[in-house]
Amino acid sequence: MEYVVETKKLTKKFGIEYAVADLDLKIPKGEIYGFLGPNGAGKTTTIRLLLGLMRQNTGTIKIFNKDLNSTRLEILKKVGSLVENPSYYGHLTARENLETLRKIHGAPKQRIDDVLDIVRLSDVGNKKVKGFSLGMKQRLGIAASLLNNPELLILDEPTNGLDPSGIIEIRNLIKRLPSEYGMTVLISSHLLSEIDQIATSVGVISKGKMIFQDSIEEMRMLSQQKISLKLDDNEKAWRFLSSKGVKVEPENDCLALVEQSDQEIAHVIRMLVENNFSIYRVEEEKRSLEDTFLQMTMEEKAV
Amino acid sequence: MISKLVQTEFMKLRRKGIWFLTFLGPFGVVALQMVNYGLRKDWFISQGTYEWFYYVRNVSAFTPFALILGIVILTSFMASIESETKAWKQVMALPVTKWSVYIAKYTTLVALLMIACLLLVIFTLCFGLYLGFDGNVPYLDIIKYSYYPFIAALPVLGLQLWLATVSQNQGLPITLGVLGVILSYMAYFLPDWMIWKWPSLDNAWDEPLVNVGLGLAVGLGIYLIGMIDFIRRDVK
Ligand SMILES: Nc1ncnc2c1ncn2[C@@H]1O[C@H](COP(=O)(O)OP(=O)(O)O)[C@@H](O)[C@H]1O
Ligand SMILES: [Mg+2]
Repeated sequence: MEYVVETKKLTKKFGIEYAVADLDLKIPKGEIYGFLGPNGAGKTTTIRLLLGLMRQNTGTIKIFNKDLNSTRLEILKKVGSLVENPSYYGHLTARENLETLRKIHGAPKQRIDDVLDIVRLSDVGNKKVKGFSLGMKQRLGIAASLLNNPELLILDEPTNGLDPSGIIEIRNLIKRLPSEYGMTVLISSHLLSEIDQIATSVGVISKGKMIFQDSIEEMRMLSQQKISLKLDDNEKAWRFLSSKGVKVEPENDCLALVEQSDQEIAHVIRMLVENNFSIYRVEEEKRSLEDTFLQMTMEEKAV
Repeated sequence: MISKLVQTEFMKLRRKGIWFLTFLGPFGVVALQMVNYGLRKDWFISQGTYEWFYYVRNVSAFTPFALILGIVILTSFMASIESETKAWKQVMALPVTKWSVYIAKYTTLVALLMIACLLLVIFTLCFGLYLGFDGNVPYLDIIKYSYYPFIAALPVLGLQLWLATVSQNQGLPITLGVLGVILSYMAYFLPDWMIWKWPSLDNAWDEPLVNVGLGLAVGLGIYLIGMIDFIRRDVK
């Protein structure tokens, strides 16, 4: 697999607190990588490290297969970014704001019209940004990140503070980028639903540590259903099944079956019936992705 | 790259009244002499000091004050433009080195201050000609008394830019800046080693060039220290 971003044991401390710890981030080319984690997990810090806005304490960062610390400028020419709240100069118009960045990139003037068009701000291009709504500022920030036609686009919580229609608009825009412009996208969020709807790859970070990293399909697989049984005597049934080598876990007022193949379930139920247990309920519970995510981050907390 | 950055610095200063300020500083300094000479012309004549020599020195009495005030305002303006909306991170995520960003800010400030000094030369000259002193126009003297204080103020410029760029808010640099303005106003009473005294061109040896030389050397030193500290820090 070809990785656009690859970090090894990336670590950043603030004082004695680890904001990012031993992070191995791998972003495959052409993917929309959803960087998911609760607030304070270390997403922004990681992104700042990727852009060279901060120096890591230990670990290495490779972007486009080049070391960030030694080839930062060359790498940043091909990277677009929006970190945390959008930055802007309020006393300048949207166009003037973009012009200050375009000049440095050396992009053609036409590009300003293009990116304003992409984020639908063409109408207000000559208005001062001071008067923009948060959503408009956010879109201007995205426009700015697209100025140099980047190969890697890094967006830190880009839908923060947007209204629902704004969120959908940004989402649709980001979805188009890999296929239409060949970009690889890193998008961070603390909302699973956000990542679920947009990402093709996922990394889950909690307390500075990567606790899951794979394709979104793999993450969905983790959210499998489970079968729970409710019987007249759960306790006895649990002992009985355990003695027969069936893996079950007692839960509140029922038993949860770990094995879930159809044959296995049929087998377990037959045994229970034949041994005169009364079965009140056999239920299939689907864990939502949200539960999976919550559980992942909870487990981390418990450690 | 640096010239492009300087161009963007000037773009960012649009609508901030920076040009008006650049004009106001030297104009104010000369305007004070308009009042002075308007009220006391006869007294100067009676004292035998109605001459170019004394006029140029009278003008320069307020130059350090205006210069330091201008430096404090400009550096804080320039830093707050970036820190208000945390725009530093956007600038630094561009393919530019941190030191070139710092140099661009410094260069822009020096350019603005040099323009202010040029205006000071022009205003001093114009009002001097209007007053109609006898003798030749001391062009070199006028230029010296406009630019020497600026060179002697480079350490203050370096210090204020350093503080303004690394501070989270502009409270500290402005407080120190205002203190500096007051000190520069009391230059006569300050010991020679204090950088706020230097723009007055006053020293124990009565040789302005000492202040100019010190200004250049120490100014360069503080500039480099400020830049290295700025590079070393994480971007806000
Ligand atoms: N500049 C800083 N100084 C000290 N602590 C910081 C700084 N930036 C972030 N942190 C801390 O690092 C942790 C991770 O923060 P952050 O990366 O912003 O998380 P996220 O973006 O996932 O919400 C938090 O505990 C935060 O308080
Ligand atoms: Mg964050």
